[in-house]
Amino acid sequence: MVNLLYAELLKLKRAKMLLVSLIGAASAPLMVFIGYLNLRAKKPQEPIYFQEAFGETNLYLTMLLGTMLYGVITAYLFQREYAEDTLKHMLTIPISRLRLLLSKLLLLFLWITLLTLFCWLSILLLGTIAGYDGLSLKVMYHALKQYVAGGWLMFLLTAPTMLVTLWFKNYVPTIIFTAALTMGNVAIINNEYVVLYPWSVPYVIATGSFNDVYPPLYSYVSIAVVSIFSLILAAIYFKRSDIH
Amino acid sequence: MHQQEESMQTIIKTTDLTKQYGTHKAVDNLNLNVNKGQIYGFLGQNGAGKTTTIRMLLGLIRPTSGRMELFGERIDTGPGQLLKRIGSMIEFSGFYENLTARENLQINARLLGIHKPEALQEAMEIVSLHQETKKLVGSYSLGMKQRLGIARAIMHHPELLILDEPTNGLDPVGIKEMRGLIRTLAKERQMTILISSHILPEVEQLADRIGIVHQGRLLEEISMDELRAQNRHYMEFQVSDDNKAVLLLEQRLGITDYVARGGGIVRIYSHLGQQAQLNRLFVEQGIDVSRIDVKGERLEDYFVRLIGGGTFG
Repeated sequence: MVNLLYAELLKLKRAKMLLVSLIGAASAPLMVFIGYLNLRAKKPQEPIYFQEAFGETNLYLTMLLGTMLYGVITAYLFQREYAEDTLKHMLTIPISRLRLLLSKLLLLFLWITLLTLFCWLSILLLGTIAGYDGLSLKVMYHALKQYVAGGWLMFLLTAPTMLVTLWFKNYVPTIIFTAALTMGNVAIINNEYVVLYPWSVPYVIATGSFNDVYPPLYSYVSIAVVSIFSLILAAIYFKRSDIH
Repeated sequence: MHQQEESMQTIIKTTDLTKQYGTHKAVDNLNLNVNKGQIYGFLGQNGAGKTTTIRMLLGLIRPTSGRMELFGERIDTGPGQLLKRIGSMIEFSGFYENLTARENLQINARLLGIHKPEALQEAMEIVSLHQETKKLVGSYSLGMKQRLGIARAIMHHPELLILDEPTNGLDPVGIKEMRGLIRTLAKERQMTILISSHILPEVEQLADRIGIVHQGRLLEEISMDELRAQNRHYMEFQVSDDNKAVLLLEQRLGITDYVARGGGIVRIYSHLGQQAQLNRLFVEQGIDVSRIDVKGERLEDYFVRLIGGGTFG
């Protein structure tokens, strides 16, 4: 597995996608930063707190940006092997298809973790530059915990995206799929079902914002069912599909 | 005796191998036999089923039915670890274009457990790309990519090399270089080589044995020596009405071993030496004869006759 992960990392060398994904991830803290700049211009006396900046950025990241951004990265990791015609070669090396799938998931996990940490650091940096208030180790740690939890839960939700990518072997259906899921997040954000909809659940769990209508267990079950079921389907499909 | 058995060891064997997509049989009960040390030319038109067969052997496509053996072992659930003994290049070689040639090969080396850096260098030298290892593959020409594909396929010293249309897209110089490369590999490394192609003259110059596949079926497996021995001669008549001419051949003389090639050309494989009588018969029946030749058959002619007419490629 170490060799496979090394190979997957090497494939990313000089790939512009890594930079593109960092720019994409930076859009969440930047949007929040620009929003606060605007607020400061109108109400210069009103303090801006790090805790709020972290919270808002996490909301953007998990509810709006993450599904699409991580979806595109998932599509890139799998679809490029079809587009660059390298998969047929990878599979004529004696490595099992499941191990190849697993190595890509491992890389995706690392990539999402990197972007999550990058967002967190960006807020820290931008907030320091702009002079936000209320920075403490407790605030930083609390935010980091929420970011990492949200990121890792969103990683679990890349399984359905992976299934769509493997099925269609094309970016377009994946982008449409993740856009539709994000629209679902927007539609449900102020609704009681926000704790049930798998793609809004990462935010709910990460921030502990459950409601009284449904027990937290429902949220965990929702995300678990979608990711495990999709992962199994994707693995079966990839293992059995013909490579042309 | 032992040496003879060794040399006749079957490296690839398929029995009634079939791949069906809906009602279409891409490969139809194919029985292929490739012996150790041979260069086996797997010939067929585009879409004949060559690539599908190769992909099944490499575990990329699941057969619908039939049996496959590699190195004497059944591979019903895929070639698995036997892939370590095989090098392959399937059609156009796919590479990570953001990486250099060396980095692309490093991926292979890692996954195949090759730790010697000289293995990469050696493979690059064989394909004459050792001066270009630091270039991004994205900047390589098609010919260079095909050569790099060969380097990737041989870097682990496989016993069997499978090349699917290795000269696809190459210019005449590239084709010549590729041919030289394959010859060198067969000679210096004693590899068994399966090379699929739709370019007959190319295979004719390389192969020890050929298998001709058409519409998914293997029509014939024959050694090049046998084929040369058989190298059938024929009479070729250029006539004014080939339909009437072949009718006459069948009805008057009972000749069925002929091919009407269109444009008034009729080739007759039997009754050699009787061109004068045949000419007289045609003229008496009002068919003008403008040319009579006696010729030997090339692989291309043989192939076209085998598949029942048409063109090759």
